[in-house]
Amino acid sequence: MEELAAEVVVKGYALIGYGAAAIGPGVGIGIIVGNAVQAMARQPEAAGMVRTTMFLGIAFTEALALIGFVLFFLV
Amino acid sequence: MIVAAESCDIINGIVCTPTSVNELFVFKPIFYIGEMGISRTHFLIIFAALLVVAFLFFGLRKKSVIPSRIQSMVESLVTLVREDIAMSVIGKGGEAYVPYLLSIFLFILVGNLFEVTPLINFPITSRIAIPLLLSLITYVLFLVAGIRKQGKEYFTHLIWPPGLPVALKPLVGLIEFASTLIVRPVSLAVRLFANLVAGHLMLSLLLVSGYFFIYQNGVWPVPGKIPIGVAWYVFGLAIYGFEIVVSVLQAYIFTLLSAVYIQTSLHPEH
Repeated sequence: MEELAAEVVVKGYALIGYGAAAIGPGVGIGIIVGNAVQAMARQPEAAGMVRTTMFLGIAFTEALALIGFVLFFLV
Repeated sequence: MIVAAESCDIINGIVCTPTSVNELFVFKPIFYIGEMGISRTHFLIIFAALLVVAFLFFGLRKKSVIPSRIQSMVESLVTLVREDIAMSVIGKGGEAYVPYLLSIFLFILVGNLFEVTPLINFPITSRIAIPLLLSLITYVLFLVAGIRKQGKEYFTHLIWPPGLPVALKPLVGLIEFASTLIVRPVSLAVRLFANLVAGHLMLSLLLVSGYFFIYQNGVWPVPGKIPIGVAWYVFGLAIYGFEIVVSVLQAYIFTLLSAVYIQTSLHPEH
């Protein structure tokens, strides 16, 4: 039971860490998508190019949160 | 998962821990070839590859000017990869990489969509072996493309962009070396892997919660808990739709990033 409790505590800290790791990418993706929507609204004919670049930016930003997610299972 | 939930004693125990997260992702081997156990995952990988080949074969068997339904599906997917990914990202010289990009796109797409296919319900890309292998192929491909295009200078250009002041060379060299040669393949693999693991985990947790609230330790139905169970189930179905979008998007992003990496090797000045 002691070991189990210790493990639960460790998992709890890991969860807090993952939550902290998700803050930055959350803000980043918000900025990227917001600016992409603005760009598409200003210049609808460039929407295709903007969308590709937006996905690219999201993919790079999102990787940080996902690495946090994977590390949560590794501890 | 369901077995683990039922064997958990909720009356005496306070903390209810499932065995491990591996339970959702590791299948018991069906039979052995030598030391290697062949499990359901292996069959799914082969099935996915065969599905892609069959899709392309039957789509393009009878080429006609007025395309049949499956032929127009193949054509629109090929156009997506060829025009939107290969030609628009790589530009000149992109034609040579269309077959590779198309095959990884279709394979990852089928592998991801296994997550939401009834009766299969297991994304093969949620085992690290598949994304890692595919990202290593991309890694070797863009290194070879760079070496063939620029020769030995490729590596110096890779870590020191042309026109860099000498004072900055150690710092920038270290950062560029790590980001290009180490972080690139790892993040490419982990992105796909983690998305699919998260999706599969979330779907199984939500749908099994719905089941567990209604049917608990052999008691059916549990009075008073049915609304909670139904709510979890409905939420799970909403996530189900979201996961279809994630599957397609991740296949697209993997292919797009492969193209971007190849492009940086072919045209270093951008």
